[in-house]
Amino acid sequence: MTQLKHLNSKTARISNELTIILKGVTQIKNIRFVGIITIILFLCLLATSVKAQENQRYQGQLNVSGYIGVADYTYLLANGDTILNGPFRLRKANLDALLQEEDYSFDFSGSFKNNFPTGTWKFQFGTFQSNNESQVVDYQYRVAISGIQEKATGNMLNGKPDGTWLYSVHKIEDSEITKTLFKSDITFNNGVPQRNFKIENDSLTLAGRFLRNGLAHDEWSLFETTGLGAAENWFFNDGVLQSIQNDVNGNIITNIVYKNIPRQTKTINLDTRYIKAITAWQSLENIANPVVTSKMQNLLAENATYYKKIDGILSELGESAFLPEFKVKVPLFPLTAMEQQKLDSIQSQFNATKEISSSFLENTQLNILKLSDAEAAYLYGVVAKINQDFLNPIGQFLAYKNENILEFLPKEKLIKNLWVKGKPKTQINVQVVIDSVTSNQNFELNEAADFDFSSNTIHTVQQLIEYASLSLAEVKTSLGKKLVNEQRQQELVKLEEGLITKDKVLQQFIDSANTVGTNKQQKALLQLKKIADTKLSYYSSIENIKLKLDAAQKLSACYEQFFDLAQSIVALPKEWVRIQETYQDRIWNPFMATLMDEDVKKRITGAYRKVLIPSYLDSIDTELTCKEASELNHLMKSTHQRMLELREENTSKLERKLRKKTDPKVVLKLFGLATEKEQK
Amino acid sequence: MKGCYKNLLVIIVLFFAYSPITHAQGIDGEVLPSKSKFKDPKTKIWFNTYGNIRISKRLFWDAQTHFRFEETENTPFIGQVAQIYNRHAIGYIHSKKTNFSLGGVVRINFNTDESSTDRNVVPEWRIWHQYQFAQPLYSAMIYHRIRIEHRWTQGFEENSSYIFRNRWRYMFRAKVPLNNHKLESKTLYISPEAELIMQSGKQVVGSVMEDLRLTGTVGYILTPRLTVAGGVIYSQGQTFDNPGIFKQNWTMRFHVYFSPDFRKVKNKLPAIHLND
Repeated sequence: MTQLKHLNSKTARISNELTIILKGVTQIKNIRFVGIITIILFLCLLATSVKAQENQRYQGQLNVSGYIGVADYTYLLANGDTILNGPFRLRKANLDALLQEEDYSFDFSGSFKNNFPTGTWKFQFGTFQSNNESQVVDYQYRVAISGIQEKATGNMLNGKPDGTWLYSVHKIEDSEITKTLFKSDITFNNGVPQRNFKIENDSLTLAGRFLRNGLAHDEWSLFETTGLGAAENWFFNDGVLQSIQNDVNGNIITNIVYKNIPRQTKTINLDTRYIKAITAWQSLENIANPVVTSKMQNLLAENATYYKKIDGILSELGESAFLPEFKVKVPLFPLTAMEQQKLDSIQSQFNATKEISSSFLENTQLNILKLSDAEAAYLYGVVAKINQDFLNPIGQFLAYKNENILEFLPKEKLIKNLWVKGKPKTQINVQVVIDSVTSNQNFELNEAADFDFSSNTIHTVQQLIEYASLSLAEVKTSLGKKLVNEQRQQELVKLEEGLITKDKVLQQFIDSANTVGTNKQQKALLQLKKIADTKLSYYSSIENIKLKLDAAQKLSACYEQFFDLAQSIVALPKEWVRIQETYQDRIWNPFMATLMDEDVKKRITGAYRKVLIPSYLDSIDTELTCKEASELNHLMKSTHQRMLELREENTSKLERKLRKKTDPKVVLKLFGLATEKEQK
Repeated sequence: MKGCYKNLLVIIVLFFAYSPITHAQGIDGEVLPSKSKFKDPKTKIWFNTYGNIRISKRLFWDAQTHFRFEETENTPFIGQVAQIYNRHAIGYIHSKKTNFSLGGVVRINFNTDESSTDRNVVPEWRIWHQYQFAQPLYSAMIYHRIRIEHRWTQGFEENSSYIFRNRWRYMFRAKVPLNNHKLESKTLYISPEAELIMQSGKQVVGSVMEDLRLTGTVGYILTPRLTVAGGVIYSQGQTFDNPGIFKQNWTMRFHVYFSPDFRKVKNKLPAIHLND
């Protein structure tokens, strides 16, 4: 058996050797062929590497405006910058998430040319759930999904939409479209909307057309899904909105919008600002309502939101302007630089004045005071009147400014319209009602003659706000005094309540603590109680409110200091125990064979107990001021601290010096506790 | 019957313990009484100081000086100085509860026998070693003290020579705090004591029980380093001359215990950690 194994291994070795020889022969034969192949391969590699320097490919994770997915794109490197060039795709779909709960998927594909989106682009966004039922169809597992799918397709040219763009939002149930939630179909030429467009959502459809330059033209019709015929028709002529036709319960009402407009116009986007501009215009023209329904605007805004979403993605990747720029023309009433300046000044004055008036009108104290105090009621009335007659209309005027539509409105007409009942007079008449008795009072600034509110210019508005501002400043001066006094009274009431509580707390604390400690300590506590009483009765004898307020504040702080001091006195026995424990050594007594606590540094503990503490307690006499109480408290605390420190220090010298010293000042100095005052 | 044997034993011991030294008069001159005789008790007053001076972490100097007064006929109560007693030793602190000492005693004995014409003062020499063990027991402490003394004494007679004896002493003592839960400063305590002193030596024939001291003491711990105490001892023991005759004493004792520590602070600490 072993012989057979040996024979087998020998045969195997021979066959291996033969194979190697045969391989060698083949290699020699093929050597020329191999050479040619190598050269070709080398050239291919070279070509690839040359091309690689131009376009590089990225495959991997990418985050674009919060869309995190797997990207696959080609790009160029120029001066370290990545320039997208060639196909681009970013997508995400998570089957696990879909099966578990919900998946937010997206898929963007298209191409770039020198960083500009160019060519066909397709965007898909979807939020899907699955019913967790799957089936095998051919060689695939299929899972039915439900949710919302957004889809946008179209062509781009140099970063701008070009050609027809379709944007749709569908409701999907079991992988089938059940409802169209939104759909827009707009044709662009190099970013400018052209020809006919159609935008619809689940309740409205808007159809209209543009001129070649993107200006709205002809009839724009808004249909309601439920109604018959157009619900609203806007008639444009070369971008200028001529009229709006509304269907109100079957009656067609036509509202003229821009009819007699100046020659000077401005082309703007059809957006919220435009709607506000026409609303303001219509109100100036006294056109009966309904004026502009928000339906069309909402639909346009919805469309703009979807476009903005795409623009966000494309702009972050490269350079693009993907906006549905629907253009319209509005009349222009330009503002001069001077007027602009005046407007800014009006704005800042208005802000300040409005704040003052609001602070008075909302002041609860004043609102209560005006019921009983005639002067307060009069001043409150002035503020209310200024607010109503001056500030509110100016606020409205400034609102136009802040909406950036002031330049589309005729100023004179606008100002005239803001004060329909005529502008306020410099003399402000106020009706004061106190206890059901009505009286009239007039308010007028001394400088009233300098003001003229008769014309309707921005200058007039400036005069109005100035007058309001000066008037309020005057009211503030007189009302301020009144309120401060009132405020003081209230503050005093609060302080006194606090004071009484603090006094009670102090008295109770002393009463409850008056059984602990030595006689001296008890006496000191009683003394403290007496001082507190004296101070309180002195306080109550003060009559002047201002002085009383000061005194109350001081006394309140004083009570806290007294309370702290009382606490420190009550803590003395405990502190003495602590000191005694600290000043002990455990020593071994040979006669008893036990460990005993030996009091050490007795001169120091003696000086503390027999000199310092009694002197502290004695210093609490009837003359004790708040400041002294606070200082004494501080000194007591630092003495205790110092005692704990001295235990650890080498005090042989100090102990020697302390011999027969009974003067607390000397002891304090030796302890290193002399106050600054004493050191001087 | 038992008593007979005892007497017989005493006689035999006395017979064999014959010594040529004249001092052994107990054997020569004295005849054992048929019944133990008790002498009238003497009164004595002792003023004792006990010093325990720490000299290192483990060692201390044990310094005791006693002034012992003994009544005489002319000085009935307080008596006259009988002995001045100096006991010194170096002690070794084995642990908080155990310590040992070894040292010497020189005692100056005064002749209190007024009728005697012999020498007034003679010295007495001892070498002593002591083993003391303490045990806590509730709030009290109990102590066992074994003290062994090698003692050379001589009589007051002119040219009397020294005799050598060994003393075997065992003392049991308790200290019970009265106004505290443990022995510490400002504590009053009572201390009952019993000490049996046995002796042996060639000259000791029969009188093996030198002294049995029963003491009651009241002490006060002033500070951990200073204690005062006072008490009364009743003691009895065989007279050296005649084992059949027992002497009795009533002794008032006053003690001052002091234990100064003159070491520098850094050497003192930590005082309690002996085994560190």
